[in-house]
Amino acid sequence: MPPFLTLTDLDKSFGEQTVLEDLSLEVAEGEVLVLLGPSGSGKTTLLRMIAGFERPDAGTIVVAGEEVTSEPPEKRNFGMVFQHYALFPHLSVEQNVAFGLESRRVPKDEIHRRVAELLPLVDLEGFEKRRVHEISGGQQQRVALARALAPDPRLLLLDEPLSNLDPTLRERTRRQLRRAIQQIGITALWVTHEQEEAFDVGDRVALLNEGRLEQVGSPEELYLEPRSRFVASFVGRASSLPGVMADDGRVLIGDNRFRGRGVRWPGVASGSFAPGDEVELMLRPQGLSLADRAAGEALEGTVLDRRYAGEATYYLIELEIGGELLVAALPDSSRVGARVAVVPRPEVSPARIFGRPRGDGS
Amino acid sequence: MRPEARRIAGYGVAALLTWLVGYPLLITLMEALGLPRGLSLEHFAEFARRPDEWQALWRSLWISAASVALAGAVGIPLAFVFARTEFPGRRILGALVALPVALPPLVGVIAFLFLYGESGFVSRGLQSLLGLEQAPWRLSGPAAILLVHAYSMYVYFYLFTRAGLARLDVAMLEASASLGAGRVATLFRVTLPLLTPALVGASLLTFMTSLASFSAPYIFGGGFRVMTTQIVASKLNGELSMAQVETVTLAILAFLGLWAMRRVDPGRSVVVGGTRGVAPSRRVLRRPLVKAGAATLGWGLALLLLLPHLTLLLISFVPPGTWTVEALPPVLDTSNYESLISTPERLRPVVNSVWMAIAATVGAVVLGLAAARLSLKLRGRLGGALETLLSIPWAVPGTVFAISLATAFSVNAPAMGRVVLVGTPWILPLAYLVRSLPLTGRSSLAGLRQLDPAVEEASASLGAGRWRTWRRVTLPLLRPAVAAGASLAFITALGDFVTSIVLYTYDTRPISIEILSSLRLQETGVAAVYGVLLMAVSATAFLVWGREERI
Ligand SMILES: Nc1ncnc2c1ncn2[C@@H]1O[C@H](COP(=O)(O)OP(=O)(O)OP(=O)(O)O)[C@@H](O)[C@H]1O
Ligand SMILES: [Mg+2]
Repeated sequence: MPPFLTLTDLDKSFGEQTVLEDLSLEVAEGEVLVLLGPSGSGKTTLLRMIAGFERPDAGTIVVAGEEVTSEPPEKRNFGMVFQHYALFPHLSVEQNVAFGLESRRVPKDEIHRRVAELLPLVDLEGFEKRRVHEISGGQQQRVALARALAPDPRLLLLDEPLSNLDPTLRERTRRQLRRAIQQIGITALWVTHEQEEAFDVGDRVALLNEGRLEQVGSPEELYLEPRSRFVASFVGRASSLPGVMADDGRVLIGDNRFRGRGVRWPGVASGSFAPGDEVELMLRPQGLSLADRAAGEALEGTVLDRRYAGEATYYLIELEIGGELLVAALPDSSRVGARVAVVPRPEVSPARIFGRPRGDGS
Repeated sequence: MRPEARRIAGYGVAALLTWLVGYPLLITLMEALGLPRGLSLEHFAEFARRPDEWQALWRSLWISAASVALAGAVGIPLAFVFARTEFPGRRILGALVALPVALPPLVGVIAFLFLYGESGFVSRGLQSLLGLEQAPWRLSGPAAILLVHAYSMYVYFYLFTRAGLARLDVAMLEASASLGAGRVATLFRVTLPLLTPALVGASLLTFMTSLASFSAPYIFGGGFRVMTTQIVASKLNGELSMAQVETVTLAILAFLGLWAMRRVDPGRSVVVGGTRGVAPSRRVLRRPLVKAGAATLGWGLALLLLLPHLTLLLISFVPPGTWTVEALPPVLDTSNYESLISTPERLRPVVNSVWMAIAATVGAVVLGLAAARLSLKLRGRLGGALETLLSIPWAVPGTVFAISLATAFSVNAPAMGRVVLVGTPWILPLAYLVRSLPLTGRSSLAGLRQLDPAVEEASASLGAGRWRTWRRVTLPLLRPAVAAGASLAFITALGDFVTSIVLYTYDTRPISIEILSSLRLQETGVAAVYGVLLMAVSATAFLVWGREERI
């Protein structure tokens, strides 16, 4: 099946600043793809380009086999949920939802029917006549969704739809949005900078960094097989240590690693490295465990801090060779101030080996 | 709109505004410098040689400075009373005391004349009370001008101070109190310093308004000439070059004022520290005596301020020739109103003023809205230029504009962008339009700045084209701001006197000019009817403005 939405080699600059570079992406029909990335990485710009509010400097946008790159937004038939909702303050809930249908000259009774069908979907029955400033933030959010969905768009675009809600409301609204999107089965692009939200709502997640796509894949892929150190550090918790490739495929870490000695740490290489290459090890807390004494290949250190987090207890270890590691272990594994040894648990989560950019010394 | 199309539209509107706003001023400057015959400072040298010119300049400056002091002395305490205490009738009085700013200056001036003038109520009353041969005083000269200025311009101090006080965070006052400062110390060490930007803004505004003031010096000045009246006198004497030099001088003073205003920017600097706190609550006066005292003071003051207008209303019911030596008018009826309605010649100025004001307002709204929209969309140099062009007429005294328009549009040279408009019915609406541009332009800018651009994008993403978005989303959301600007523009145009006196023709004479000639003909009753008419319309429009733009 050909992809429903295809972005090819999109570029965008504002003046001197390059905001998106060589960006290509495919989204399947009915898929919910999350655009995840830190602030300023270009998520909103990409979404606005797809919606038609920004024109790419180069590249094409194709939807259902039709190129829309320079179509005006009103011709694209995409629904958009704005970060601050952008509800029409002078219209009622009902009129907001009906707006897109009226633009398309849908007959009155048909509009009525459609509004009556949508409001229950977003739990807003009985709010038809309210002004939009007379309802809560979460309700406004759902009006925004209903309004975007009303004209039956081909594609739904959501820009940080939950960022304006307080945390308690956020999770519930997230569930409601996800349910509504699934019920309709619409293809959706959802922008967020929160990894947990991304993993929760996305069939796939596209990770954006400084205008480039770092990796696109399912949440599991991103977590377990990060393709760059940026992905590894942005998705989930990870510590990093500098090292040098040894000739057995492991990584030498420690003060005397350049002399071929030091601790040898096993890891999965992303890319091909030759012995002697300077690399970086990314270690997940679950891929490490604590031992009493140095037994074989282990890093020694002192427990700096210990934080109980329900499903695991996190220990922050200050290493003797310098640097810090975050280790997940049982609550009674150690205490603050104790000397411990950290050993690898590659069977749970292997360390990943990435190249180190030049000039980024340890 | 496509970016290229928008740029072209931007340049088009900028060119139109330059032609209307900047070009006449430039031509006046050039003619004052002897161009196109040959560059010379001859006219300026002549200006410098004449002592009466220096005298007028000096008088303009000191009258303005004194007006600031007097207006501040009335407006600031009044604002504190209304912002900080609660007494019966506070709300309605608080709105009423701001009213003089909306009334046409000429109306205020004649109302004063009827109340405190030689044959006004107060002097007649005193005369008969004390058995005097003559009126106890003559309302003329600098004292009379200052009285009128203080009376109408205290409103700036009142409004600015109230706005400043409303934005003051109560936590700051509490912090001061918790640090051991008493009431007085807090007032002088916290409140007033924080109000300084507002007060400086009000001072500059008063200074500039008073520099531009024409009605009061014209009616009360007599031989006491300030720059504005000097200019009009030169023009009427046929000394056009001298009028131009005087105009340029006054314009320079005004631009200096504008420059100073820009540096202070009272609108924004009043907010301290970014986040807005809670304004201090009003003190509810509990002791009955204090409460009655405050109420009496408030009502007394308001009555004093509104008395001239009540007088105007009363005079409008005095039939011609019936009030001679009595202290109070012996007969009251509606004959003045009837004569206005039944005499086409008397109705004519009303019709003139109304159609010209409507035309000017519509033009100013359309042009102001277009320029504001383009200014915000384009940003950059062009956007900035549009915004500046919109605000220039606000700083330029009406007299300066009138002389500039009279200079620029009395010559037919289409290639130079000059056509003869002086003497046609179009010059006054055009002059009104230009003078109203800052009102409509600034309110459009304010409205557009508050508009979330995402709302228009939301409309587009819902399939609405540009026209539908404009009609269904943008315009309804801008309506309050536009209505506010339009009502102020309409008031200004309807009651205009300064530009009219330079540019009117007999056929297009507006109400203000008719008031003047009625006064000359001793038809005070008719003059009062016109005044009441202007007052009623202006107050209505002001209430519309107040409803849309809450202070
Ligand atoms: N209209 C514009 N003009 C100039 N620069 C812009 C414009 N829009 C965005 N940028 C710049 O482009 C970069 C990316 O912005 P964008 O809003 O796409 O980031 P984002 O990933 O959505 O960030 P956030 O999570 O903060 O919303 C930023 O550095 C921003 O300053
Ligand atoms: Mg964003």
